Amino acid sequence: MKYDVAIIGSGLGGLVCAQLLARAGRSVLVLERQAQPGGCLQSFRRGAFVFDTGLHTVGGLAPGQSLHRRFEELGLMQLPWQRLDASGYDLVTIGGETFAHAEGFDTFAATLARRFPAEREALHAFTRMLATLPAMDEAGEVSAYDYLCRTFADPLLVNVLSASLLKMELRRESLPLFTFLHVVAGYVQSSWRLAADGGLLVHTLIDNIRRLGGEVRCGAEVVELVERDGRLTAALGRGGEAWEADRFVSDIHPRLTYDLIRESTHIRRIQRWRLASLQDTFGMLTVSLVLKPGVLPYFNHNKYVYRRANVWDEPLAGGEAEPIDRVMVSCRVPAEGTFTRQIDLLTPLPWALCMPWQHTHVGHRCDDYLAMKRRRADECIDLAETVIPGLRAMILHQYVSTPLTWRDYNLTPQGSAYGIRKDCRNMLLTTFSPQTSIPNLFLTGQSLVIHGIEGVTETAFATAEAILNAG
Amino acid sequence: MTRNEIISQVNDLLVEEFEIEQSEITPEASMKEVLHLDSINLVDLVALVHVTYGITIPAEDLPKLKSFNDLYDYIESHKAA
Repeated sequence: MKYDVAIIGSGLGGLVCAQLLARAGRSVLVLERQAQPGGCLQSFRRGAFVFDTGLHTVGGLAPGQSLHRRFEELGLMQLPWQRLDASGYDLVTIGGETFAHAEGFDTFAATLARRFPAEREALHAFTRMLATLPAMDEAGEVSAYDYLCRTFADPLLVNVLSASLLKMELRRESLPLFTFLHVVAGYVQSSWRLAADGGLLVHTLIDNIRRLGGEVRCGAEVVELVERDGRLTAALGRGGEAWEADRFVSDIHPRLTYDLIRESTHIRRIQRWRLASLQDTFGMLTVSLVLKPGVLPYFNHNKYVYRRANVWDEPLAGGEAEPIDRVMVSCRVPAEGTFTRQIDLLTPLPWALCMPWQHTHVGHRCDDYLAMKRRRADECIDLAETVIPGLRAMILHQYVSTPLTWRDYNLTPQGSAYGIRKDCRNMLLTTFSPQTSIPNLFLTGQSLVIHGIEGVTETAFATAEAILNAG
Repeated sequence: MTRNEIISQVNDLLVEEFEIEQSEITPEASMKEVLHLDSINLVDLVALVHVTYGITIPAEDLPKLKSFNDLYDYIESHKAA
């Protein structure tokens, strides 16, 4: 059978594209290399508990807000979304002092202005910018850090405003204001958690795709995309399968996509050089904790803890000996009652600190790797204990994953959390259009323009539109 | 690097990467026409300059680069800077 569209990768971008194309009447096949679908959204089970990997907070889901219309259209608004506290969806603790990020542009500014009264005007100017969101040609080539330092006189406030972007790479020289504003704006509108694991989101999309006649196949690893007479004709599977389609969408990393195309009349050497020269954002160390029953009341916000006001410093730049100095704490909505059983602690772990084990694979690593994980988990727990006193004594089980784990499951280079790093000095080369030089190959996913649930969803809509416009 | 060296190196790279003939490149010719530039492969030209000379061409400068001469000028002035 020849499909209208074959989609490589079942991350959020691939699944959203598949649903939109199936709804438009296209025959769609999604190919997932792993046994489990979902890419960066997938969850994992240990005993009675299911843990999330990539999904923690989603912004802008209230009616009229940025992501609501998209999720409504995809049938995702019926999922059990839990709105985080309006008075502080994020609590940022820096050097022992805690600051609330409050919901709504005006309230956000007014709340922080009580602690930073001299910055009231600047805070309102900042939230006005968040509300209007400048386009890429206005804010793409501006450094977020430079903008913040120009706008605010108090360096502590610059730290407070940026602290909840712990999972994002806050690089002074490269992070575009465009990226910063788009990520922050969704959360300020309203922040939400799924009162379930990310698997529910993935399986809802897959059910929708199947109901619309589309197919999703797991354990279907694509090892080559074949070009003939200037167009892609088939995706070849590891088991010798050949999936034919009129059009192809790649929801995997752009570099891996181009690696799948061995011979092409369209791909110039310069395109491969360009991809090879691009850097990826850092990956995360995640400590997934199962707590004893009835010890920690559920908290309806995220906590961000920094030892010092060094939010924009490169994490663990001092190397292996430097202890972790920042952590995000996310709380799972309890299925019943008021006590949570699961929290996740996340912190960036640069690839340089994973390199000693880069040639090992999941399930086959050595004792010194396990010791490194234990030590780093301890450091995360130490830091989290400054805002959750007695945390260590509440722990029943802990599971630790690193960028190496992420790399092995999701194939993102160096276990990168968000894919290709955007650079305000070079936006043309660090962002990607859904169209490629091969007329029937399209890209989607977090590396194109903006990462995160909202960025990836928006990009998937753009990719699907590009395909439908192509006829 | 002299201007002539830049011209010669740029032309060689363009011939190889964009699969055109040396004879098609004249200083006043339109790059858009000779290289068949569209929104997708315009980025390849930017990447070529970036990878070869370490010069980043911001989006706002692109409309100024019409002829091959404009490109040589751009590389020459930004390399010196």
